[in-house]
Amino acid sequence: MPHSFLVIDDSKLHHQMYRLIFSRGALAGSTVHYATNGREGYGLLAAHPELTLVLLDLNMPEMNGLEVLERRRAEGLHPHIPIVLVTTEGSAEDEARGRSAGAWEYLRKPFQPADVEHLVMRALAKAEPIA
Amino acid sequence: MSVGDENPFGELLQDYVLECLPLAEQVADTFVELERRWRAGDPADELLGSLPGRLHTVKGNSAMMGLTPAQETAHALEDACGLLRRSSERRTDPAAALLITGGGLLVDLVRQASPELDPGPAARYVERVRQWMQGEGPPAADTQSERRRTDRRGGGGADKTDSVVRVDFRRLDALLEVLGEGLIQHSALAEAYRRLARRSGACEELDRLDQTILALEKTLKRLESTLMETRLLPIASVFGRFPRMLRDTAEAEGKRVRLLQSGGETPLDKAVLDRLSEPLLHLVTNAIVHGMEPPDARSLAGKPEEGTIRLDAAPHAGRVVIRVADDGRGLDEKAIRKKAEALGQELRDDEVVPLRSLIFLPGLSTAEQVSRLAGRGVGLDVVAGAIHALGGTIDVETEPGKGTAFTLSLPVTLAIIRSLIVEIDHERFALPMAHVAETVRAEPDAIREINHRGVAQWRGDLIHVADGGAVLGTAAADRAPRRFYVVMAAGGKRQALLVDRLVGHQDIVVKGLDPALGRPDVVSGTTILGDGRVACILDSVRILEGGRRAG
Repeated sequence: MPHSFLVIDDSKLHHQMYRLIFSRGALAGSTVHYATNGREGYGLLAAHPELTLVLLDLNMPEMNGLEVLERRRAEGLHPHIPIVLVTTEGSAEDEARGRSAGAWEYLRKPFQPADVEHLVMRALAKAEPIA
Repeated sequence: MSVGDENPFGELLQDYVLECLPLAEQVADTFVELERRWRAGDPADELLGSLPGRLHTVKGNSAMMGLTPAQETAHALEDACGLLRRSSERRTDPAAALLITGGGLLVDLVRQASPELDPGPAARYVERVRQWMQGEGPPAADTQSERRRTDRRGGGGADKTDSVVRVDFRRLDALLEVLGEGLIQHSALAEAYRRLARRSGACEELDRLDQTILALEKTLKRLESTLMETRLLPIASVFGRFPRMLRDTAEAEGKRVRLLQSGGETPLDKAVLDRLSEPLLHLVTNAIVHGMEPPDARSLAGKPEEGTIRLDAAPHAGRVVIRVADDGRGLDEKAIRKKAEALGQELRDDEVVPLRSLIFLPGLSTAEQVSRLAGRGVGLDVVAGAIHALGGTIDVETEPGKGTAFTLSLPVTLAIIRSLIVEIDHERFALPMAHVAETVRAEPDAIREINHRGVAQWRGDLIHVADGGAVLGTAAADRAPRRFYVVMAAGGKRQALLVDRLVGHQDIVVKGLDPALGRPDVVSGTTILGDGRVACILDSVRILEGGRRAG
């Protein structure tokens, strides 16, 4: 079954990067949804229960990554969809907060395609729903 | 660029520039502002605080793109800013200079976005930052040369991307071509309708056809205005480059100058902006190098040591007016008149030649010594030429000891211009309406000859009248007298052009000249008329300057 991903990031450049990553190799043919802020991203998350994985940037205007996680937990929205918090190096504190707010994993910028592919494989290997 | 093999994101270099260049430019401008604030005794904590986030983003994106020199430069600047946030006692002039150098380097590296850049300048810069952070004395002084080495002019291709239009501009140009064809087809349809109506007289079907043609015109106009809006960028994308440039120039010249801007949000067609950047840069550089007095001379004259250059833009009557004003010494009118006479300009006593028609003469420069920065072999005549080529005008006001102001008036868009279509010796030509003052029926004895040149009365003045055929080199010996003349005006000059027929007004889409035609002196481009004929667009400014078709 082809995968479906949601990218929530205010950087158009990162959208393009994910687009490249999700169009290659084992992930070719995947559907990718894009949002440029947390509010829009949360709406897409609600609309797409079939998502394989969500990549959520930490720093964004209009609802940042942590706020998205907190609201999702509070509302119990699609707890089976793993959300990866995308952070920058050296923000260990943010990562800890992300984890406690329900992030399944984090991805550090700068990342390479292999890092994302690896995360996706791990998410798929986790047969059980991830809360 | 063939980096796709090595870097997985190699094809995104353009996206990288779009996203990171504005950030790098903001950072670089902030460094200039920091220097000002620190000199004024303001620690500027909040400005410093705005920097690490932006630098961090540029660093991360550069790393992902495999652009190591940009990544390392951003990293070094991030570290330096971190140190400066912690220790205010290190906020000194040399530190600001070090940051400004790095900001310029970063902008250059991001703009070029090339994985094949020489890593040397960035590596040397990183090392200097490292030494500075360890407190090993003030940084070495070769700040300018490092920037220049990375500067490969014309190689970027992704310049002026402050405002994000995420469409390849060539597509917008292609759309414009298509629209142009639609407009031409509409004219052809309207023309055919008129002939048909003349032949068959009024009937209901023809009325409906007329309505449809009118509706089509409205639709095309709406399409045009929407497309034109899409092509607009704020003029800030050009202004944005000036603060750093100004600082570098002022420093090199030993002047103290601040730049005040307004109207950066004023929109202009990208095609106009692209051609505007050089002339504006030249005017600003001139203002610093020639206009501004050194600080001590300013004090003596009772002026503040720091000079002010104002850069203002504003929409005005469907055009954009840009003013570049300095509070320097003003133009030396005597020297300009003397120089103009030396250049062979006839300054007859009976004619008061305004300063503005002299200062834009080719070869006129009153600077005694050509300065390193302004003396790039380009005079105000080239600036004026570039502005006129855009269908614009340039004017100057100056007052001794008070300053000089250049006022530019430009069309908002370039590609479609309202034109007067005229016929000269059975050929049709387009004259841009921007330079058409009036059309007049040529009465038999309205034109007299004075000094072997035709003159006519126009609004109480005598103006020269040139024969269209003579200007174009098409005049036949035994032709009937021409029936109309078009009064053209630009850059303070006026002249009338004799034509056979006034065909009408039309919006024309400017096409370039066929290179095979060469570049006739008085023709600036071609267009296709409603009947499918190709017509040359006359270069009013050249004609006003007395140009003739070559050959």
